[in-house]
Amino acid sequence: MKLLIVEDNLALLESISDSLTAENFLCEKAQDYFTALEKINLYNYSLIIVDINLPDGSGLGLIKSMKKLNTETGIIVVSARNSLGNKLEGLELGADDYITKPFDMAELVARVKALLRRRNFAGSNNVEINDITIKTDSREVFVQQTKIELTKSEYDILLFLIANKGRVITRESLAEHIWGDNMDLADSFDFIYSHIKNLRKKIAAAGAFDPIKAVYGIGYKIEMQ
Amino acid sequence: MKLIKRTYLHTFIWLLPVIIIGSVYCFYMIRFIIYEETDEYLTYEMERLVDYYNQNKNLPEFHKVADIIEGVKYETPVFKDTHILEPGDNELVPHRELYFSIVHKEKYFTIVLRHLLPGNDDILEGTLIIIVGLLLLITAILFFMLNHISGKIWAPFYKTLQRLKKYRINENPPTFPASGIDEFNTLNDTVNSLLSKISHDYARTKEFNENASHELQTHLAIIRANAGKLLNEPGSGPNNIKTAQEIQNAAIKLSRSQKSLLLLSKIGNLEFNKSEEVNLKALLQQVLLLFDEAVGIRGINVSVIAEECTREMDPGLADIFLTNLIKNAVKHNVQNGFISISLTPSCLVIENSGLPFIGNPDIMLERFVVGVQGNSGIGLSIVKQICNLYQYSISYQVVNQSTHRITIHL
Repeated sequence: MKLLIVEDNLALLESISDSLTAENFLCEKAQDYFTALEKINLYNYSLIIVDINLPDGSGLGLIKSMKKLNTETGIIVVSARNSLGNKLEGLELGADDYITKPFDMAELVARVKALLRRRNFAGSNNVEINDITIKTDSREVFVQQTKIELTKSEYDILLFLIANKGRVITRESLAEHIWGDNMDLADSFDFIYSHIKNLRKKIAAAGAFDPIKAVYGIGYKIEMQ
Repeated sequence: MKLIKRTYLHTFIWLLPVIIIGSVYCFYMIRFIIYEETDEYLTYEMERLVDYYNQNKNLPEFHKVADIIEGVKYETPVFKDTHILEPGDNELVPHRELYFSIVHKEKYFTIVLRHLLPGNDDILEGTLIIIVGLLLLITAILFFMLNHISGKIWAPFYKTLQRLKKYRINENPPTFPASGIDEFNTLNDTVNSLLSKISHDYARTKEFNENASHELQTHLAIIRANAGKLLNEPGSGPNNIKTAQEIQNAAIKLSRSQKSLLLLSKIGNLEFNKSEEVNLKALLQQVLLLFDEAVGIRGINVSVIAEECTREMDPGLADIFLTNLIKNAVKHNVQNGFISISLTPSCLVIENSGLPFIGNPDIMLERFVVGVQGNSGIGLSIVKQICNLYQYSISYQVVNQSTHRITIHL
């Protein structure tokens, strides 16, 4: 699956590219508007990640061109300006998702995967890990054939961890993913802890291998069996 | 008070002494003229009688002699004032008398001529009629004159005022037309230079904010990305992982503070200027849903009594306003505590249980009051800023040491 990353800051561009390459995506990079425009005219991408503020043009212009060329391509807008106006404009032009700087790579990876799933590039809407299957279109979780009931937050935590499997996810990143700005970090650790505890209990009760590994004092990580 | 009203008031206050002095002057002037004319008339009559007597040694058949006194001699004619009882209306009426003497058959006779004078009350009446008439005339003329003058002369001033009133900080400063009046031109020039300074500063602050936040956010994203990478480096020992996590946490906290500060300055810069009817009751219920989970985990009992309440607000700000208030009530609550919210069309009261607090609760609304959990206290200062913007009054009280109450008069 080929992705195009458009970001003017080289260090950030490399970081994004590294993180997504580690997830086995084929990443191409563009640092300015015209390079990006040329690339989208020449090649087919499953998904592009566009920064709105480019030195020689606006990412919004790229979204317009992209929509004319290939409506199948998923578009994630990245912006430093957390102004509502840009967000709405981006989404109206046909962007599929919007993420404001600064973000965690884990968050971006999860969003990329979710968008690719929605666009059916992955071939299936299901996410599987060991013997746990998540049907993302109906938000249901199965262990073998048994459905396990999860709360909204438990489901979000599980999906987020699995999207970043093998990587350590800090409690802070988890909290930010689930509650955004509505929760303060100091409060959220207890909540995360109790959600993870319940989640593990439910998975264990269904007889599956518990893939969540606690990294002491830091966060959690999904391990393959 | 309006300029024109004030002008009228002052003009009429100055008119008052004119009226009083004018009335007195008028009164004595009328009296003086009456005396003069009466004396003149009586003198003519005296001359006629004396002439007639000198020719005929007798008085004419028709004369206006009021009295003849025998044996009394006046060297020169003398005028006297007297009051005579008028039997018709039983009233003393002022009269002017002229005494003069003639010699008849070697005897002195004093002849008294008499003429009716108008009483002081009659003169006063006349004076009042004249003054009131004049006053009406002067008032009417002044009214039209002042109206015309203020309309004409002050027109450039009102134009300037109107344009200033319409001016919004995020627009280009208005231009003021030149007038023929130096003072107004100076005013316009001064206002112009002030406005262009303000608008320049405003644009610069805004640009600075945007640039600073753009730079900050991009580099924060890099810090977070690299800290994340370090966390997952296979060779990292526990110490390195701990350090990477601390870097990441600091970056997250900085991102949040930065976002909040940017928000504060945007509110202060009036960048939220949409105005829509916002149903606060419906919004409150939406916002409460966001905190359902946190409320559930902490065992907080939430009671809401909400009446319909709509306000003209920027919808984004309304959301930020209620979210920050509820967030504050949830965040500073205790295990198994309570939150009670009451919303009426004019007042929003949020009470929550919390840690005991002694001191001046007003500082809770100040920026950078660091709480026990190390938070920056920026949430409530955002609320306060929004209250300032819409001129809502907000107060923070602590009741019974551990019940925190925020009252907002919408």
